[in-house]
Amino acid sequence: MQPHPMNTEQRTQAIYREIGALARFVEHAMQTVAEIGRPVVESSLELPTVASHLTDLAKMTEQGVMEVMRLTELMQEDHATVMSECRAIAGALRTFGQDDLAGRLEQVLAILKQDERRLTDVMTALSFQDLMAQRIKKLVAILEDVREKLVKLVVVLGDQPSGNGERLQGRVGELFKELGQSRDSAMKQEAADEILTKFGFE
Amino acid sequence: MPVDPTIRVLVVDDMATMRRIVKNVLKQLGFNRVDEAENGAEALQKLRQESYGLVVSDWNMPVMTGIDMLRAIRADEKLKSIPVLMVTAEAQQSNLIEAIQAGVSNYIVKPFTAETMQDKLNKIFKSSGRERTTFAHGQA
Repeated sequence: MQPHPMNTEQRTQAIYREIGALARFVEHAMQTVAEIGRPVVESSLELPTVASHLTDLAKMTEQGVMEVMRLTELMQEDHATVMSECRAIAGALRTFGQDDLAGRLEQVLAILKQDERRLTDVMTALSFQDLMAQRIKKLVAILEDVREKLVKLVVVLGDQPSGNGERLQGRVGELFKELGQSRDSAMKQEAADEILTKFGFE
Repeated sequence: MPVDPTIRVLVVDDMATMRRIVKNVLKQLGFNRVDEAENGAEALQKLRQESYGLVVSDWNMPVMTGIDMLRAIRADEKLKSIPVLMVTAEAQQSNLIEAIQAGVSNYIVKPFTAETMQDKLNKIFKSSGRERTTFAHGQA
């Protein structure tokens, strides 16, 4: 048996039903994408903070490395003076026939020379800071790129996160809070001493 | 004793820590006249103002990179004979080949040791007829 052919009105209704179903499917899909995407977009708002912490890290290590260098250079200067004095004394001892003492002093000189090389090795080992800073710079650039892409996603989703500072919950949120505190309100020893003094500590 | 401790050296790096490290090692090797520049452009300016016997340069720097500075040095009649030692984190084979093609005198990959620096400088000065025979380490 042949099915009855649909008339124009029936065909129109069928098309409307199809369009309706399609619209519901699209709406549902958009909702799903928004639900999945929202946490990602919200996390992306913290990317500049992450980048800022990374930059801080590079600065902190640079400061630390500079201090180690300053101290190492002072030690190198002292070493040079001590070695020069030891050489002069060893020479004088030999002049006065004190070869044994001169020999012992030359053994000390050999140890000092070895230490001098080690101090140079300390300096060159500090070059890790340059490599680290370069990598951090690249990571910050990558984070910026990711953030830009996620901002585009926000536009697509048409869903702007609140930005009220309580975006991230759970462990990640706690970590951000701790990072912020360690940077913004970390107490210097002077401030701690002031408080200790107020409480009677000497 | 270094063969020519009066050689003036220019250390080029955008990182203050690296300039200080290289300067320190050079001092241990007997070079006492060491100047600094933060990028290739500043280095070229200094090279045109003063007479230098060696350039120790990084690769990645803002304003002008080390490789561009090297090309500029080799293209300059007055500067082209200055030895240029690159000390860089750019450790790809292609980087090294690019530097060789640009006329680098030798190449050190970070992180490096004082011995590596000494070895490379010996090679540079040997090839230019001013061999340094000892690792001075602050004294002869």
